[in-house]
Amino acid sequence: MSDIVNNSKSSLVWGRVGKIVSYVVFVSWTLITIVPLIWMSYSSLKSNEELTRDIYAFPYELFDNMDDEYTVIRPDLNTIRDYDPKVDKRERICIESNTIAPGRRLMVFFLVKEDMPPEIQNLKIGDTVTVRDLPGSIRRYINRKTMRFNYESAFIRGGLAGKFANSIIYASVSTFLIILLGSMTAFAISKMQFAKLSKILMIVYGLGYLISIPSLIIPLFLMMTKVGLIDTHLGLILVYVAFGMPLAVLLSSQFMQGLPSSLVESAYIDGASVFRTFWSIILPMTTPVIITISILSALGIWNEFLLVLVLASSEFTKSLPVGVYSFSSLTGTQLGWQLAALVIATLPAMIVYFTFNQRLTNGVVAGAVKE
Amino acid sequence: MNQRDRKALMFYIGMVAPGLAIYLSIVAYPVFYSVWLSFTDFNPNAGGVGNFMGLFHYKAMLDNPEFWHSLKNNMIVVAVSVFGQIPIGFILAYILYRKMVRAEKFFQSMVFLPQFLSTIVIGILWKRLFVADGPVSTIMQLATGDPSAQFDLMLRAETVMIPIGIALIWMYTGFYMVIFLANLQKMNVNMIEAAKIDGATEPQIFGRIILPLLTGTIIVSSVLAIAGSLKGFDLIFAMTTQGLQRDNASVLPIYMYETAFRDYSNPMRFAYGAAISNAIVAISIVMIGISNWIGKHMSQDEVY
Repeated sequence: MSDIVNNSKSSLVWGRVGKIVSYVVFVSWTLITIVPLIWMSYSSLKSNEELTRDIYAFPYELFDNMDDEYTVIRPDLNTIRDYDPKVDKRERICIESNTIAPGRRLMVFFLVKEDMPPEIQNLKIGDTVTVRDLPGSIRRYINRKTMRFNYESAFIRGGLAGKFANSIIYASVSTFLIILLGSMTAFAISKMQFAKLSKILMIVYGLGYLISIPSLIIPLFLMMTKVGLIDTHLGLILVYVAFGMPLAVLLSSQFMQGLPSSLVESAYIDGASVFRTFWSIILPMTTPVIITISILSALGIWNEFLLVLVLASSEFTKSLPVGVYSFSSLTGTQLGWQLAALVIATLPAMIVYFTFNQRLTNGVVAGAVKE
Repeated sequence: MNQRDRKALMFYIGMVAPGLAIYLSIVAYPVFYSVWLSFTDFNPNAGGVGNFMGLFHYKAMLDNPEFWHSLKNNMIVVAVSVFGQIPIGFILAYILYRKMVRAEKFFQSMVFLPQFLSTIVIGILWKRLFVADGPVSTIMQLATGDPSAQFDLMLRAETVMIPIGIALIWMYTGFYMVIFLANLQKMNVNMIEAAKIDGATEPQIFGRIILPLLTGTIIVSSVLAIAGSLKGFDLIFAMTTQGLQRDNASVLPIYMYETAFRDYSNPMRFAYGAAISNAIVAISIVMIGISNWIGKHMSQDEVY
């Protein structure tokens, strides 16, 4: 095709200028996409103090922490311990970092006294010690802990662990139900008789495209409150399934229509039940579309925000986007944790996107432009 | 209906019923519930019974300057989508289609990527980009040589929609690019070749052949853009800080959310909020109708 473009003289000039402009446009677009994401990834490995000092510098403190200072403090002041004081009764020295989040009791270690060299065993409360002075195994342990500091803090102290789990539950359970119920409906519409009924169903589901979660959020909130499904996993999953149905029904019925009807007929003659025909013959053949719908639905639910913002009031049911949002709008939170939270929310979606890039593109086109 | 048919009907219902039950109760029923709600004085704290109030809430809405402010902002978002995202998406798709850049798969996936990232993450990132002491300010200071130059677009009511518009274009253009690209690739190459042989220039091919053939796609994209930008909530919500900034950048869905779920002083906040969301739906239906009508009339003398 490119030799057609370069056929005449005018198009040659046009083509050359166009080429330069095209590259400028696409390269800058790519940079605007990637640079913030790269900045976000490496900044999430910086300590809070480093981030406030210079927002663009590369991370350093969390990796090279040999000179980090720790102060010996009273162990009973710390409620969060990495051991069970009832089971493990060995005597310990409690040290707290002066460098990473100083004074906030966030980098605290309980060193077992008997494992320590005598000079550390004799440290008094208020004395300081650097990481370099500690024995090798403890040093490596503290190193690892420090590097993961932002992520572990966001996950455990920032409460993102539960929200991550919730996001996975919402995305996986809803997607499974969307696929199951959607393809059952699609099978009935495309491969069973009753054309009139099927037409009505297609219109009913087709109209669903025009309706979005924001436009129904108030009645949904009131309804869910009334039936007691507010702030429950089940309530959110049901809403996601309902809003995921139109795309699933449309795409899979379009695909099933293309499968030969003789498949269903011969299965019927062989004595297979309707559900059996659907489950063992049609469904396996629909796999390519099912994968596309699954990825689209799962990504959509993973990133969905408003529904969880309104319907989930307790920490127990919130999902990642809401967690990340409330995390970053809190004043005084650690900036490093925020960035770690952003990475935690983005990374799974990025992996899925780059793995299934082509499928997603085709799926979006098929879903948006129905013919 | 004989017995076999009846049995088949039972199976048919068995297959569609579970999905349909969930769909009707969660999507279809609330549509009517929302309309009913907007005509009543429903107040959950006063027993939750609604008395018919007619168009009371709609009148109150039209008298409220906040509504008009949000509508104006929303129209800016619609304009950015229809006259920004779609033309840019078309141009990008055309560049990829004529293979004017190499590594087109890579560039395509880079422009498309923001679609699939969490809007909240993107909003927070762009907010950081445009804060008064953020990277954009630094660039301004370097470019102008004035160390006091501050990028305060996000802080002023008149300019807050500019950064939001840029973020919107960046985020959604990839979607239209992919749709245009798919439709360009479906087009018949012979027609372009024939025009080439007849001596048509590149702009002529673009204007006389490719553009008319894609009118349908442009209409579909406009409908999607209008519907999408009228219900858009997340990006602006995440990009603005609660309070004055969000009020300045308010769009109808945000106005609706703030009314129904934040304004506790208003006892009829749910009914009033429902009126706003019904207005959003009505506005989008009207706008989609207009864009369809314009599209059909524009293309009439060009389709052959």
